[in-house]
Amino acid sequence: MADPLGLIGGSTPAHPIQTQKTKLPAGGQSIDPNAPTFKDLLMENLAKVNTLQQDATQAVEDLHAGERDDLEQVLMATQKADTAFRMLLQVRNKLMDAYQEVQQIRV
Amino acid sequence: MYGGLDIAVSGMVAQRVRLNTIAANIANSSATRDADGNVNPYRRKFTVFMPGDPNAKNEMGRELGVHVKDILEDQAPPRKVWDPDHPDAQPEGSADAGYVYYPNFNSTMEQINALEAQRAYEANVASADAMKSLVAQALRLIS
Amino acid sequence: MFIDGLTNADSTPTLRAAIGFAAGRQKLIAHNIANLSTPNFRPADVSVNEFRSQLRDAIDARRKQWGSHRGELKLSKTRQVEQKADGSLLLSPQESGRGVLFHDRNDRDLERTMQDLAENVAFFRVASDLLKTRNDMLNAAIRERV
Repeated sequence: MADPLGLIGGSTPAHPIQTQKTKLPAGGQSIDPNAPTFKDLLMENLAKVNTLQQDATQAVEDLHAGERDDLEQVLMATQKADTAFRMLLQVRNKLMDAYQEVQQIRV
Repeated sequence: MYGGLDIAVSGMVAQRVRLNTIAANIANSSATRDADGNVNPYRRKFTVFMPGDPNAKNEMGRELGVHVKDILEDQAPPRKVWDPDHPDAQPEGSADAGYVYYPNFNSTMEQINALEAQRAYEANVASADAMKSLVAQALRLIS
Repeated sequence: MFIDGLTNADSTPTLRAAIGFAAGRQKLIAHNIANLSTPNFRPADVSVNEFRSQLRDAIDARRKQWGSHRGELKLSKTRQVEQKADGSLLLSPQESGRGVLFHDRNDRDLERTMQDLAENVAFFRVASDLLKTRNDMLNAAIRERV
């Protein structure tokens, strides 16, 4: 099983959260230290959602100021931004649930 | 918002009054006598429109919209037709002896006026529909 | 205060201005249609292109000052459109004078007026639907439920 946080195998919390080359039992894949972490993916998608929202805002403003007249493109840009935001909201909810579940673990 | 509907309705009412007037004209296009039975040919009635509507319920409806200010009679002289045997012919000795006075308007023209009044009425109906859809659309904002 | 950030976020001020303009213009068009047969009546309308360029200037000013995310939209006063203190718009129509002058000195143009009516309703619908979408997103974010 992959261990992106490096918790298994004796690494201490003081280590930065990065993938580490861990020895896995028979026949597993080894982890590439240069692959993006979950945190990187999350931040990247956060930035993408923000870009989509800004594009949608720009499109709506241009439509009403008369600089573009393709209504369907503006509507699609708005839809894309909204769907991306809703997806991000759900990811955030799942993460919060997972975190709370982890908190419940009696140690 | 409700004032917008007032404007369209005032237009509809005014055009309907106009249409009624035109219908009366067409019906009486050959009347040589008036309501009391005197020999007084029918005169074409026409409506006078003015912007604004004093009867509107809302303040805005009072300054926008249209109303019928007056229904006046066309004072053009009647059409004369030579027919000395007609009971309504002008008597001997008067200026137009032997002529019968008929209403002086063309019922074809009145029919065309009726078409135009109907067209304006439908335009006002469309305007009322648009205002209703605007209000319905605005309500969807909160639901 | 963060509530201002909510009510003036992104494209919301633009949409509010567009809706105000469309609602005001609707009454003007209805007035013109009601007076199709009134003698000596000259149909008066506001120019959409002028409003659009006014909106463009206000959007650019807002972006320069606050960035695209927040800030109020302040429309500069023109001959036709003026923004009042509470944000609503006051329209002063000018005569368009583009139709043929009929014998009753009324230069109506029925087809163009009906076209203006349909376009104005569509303009209102677009702005109102986009505003509704934004409201839904805001509610989803506040509720934390998609």
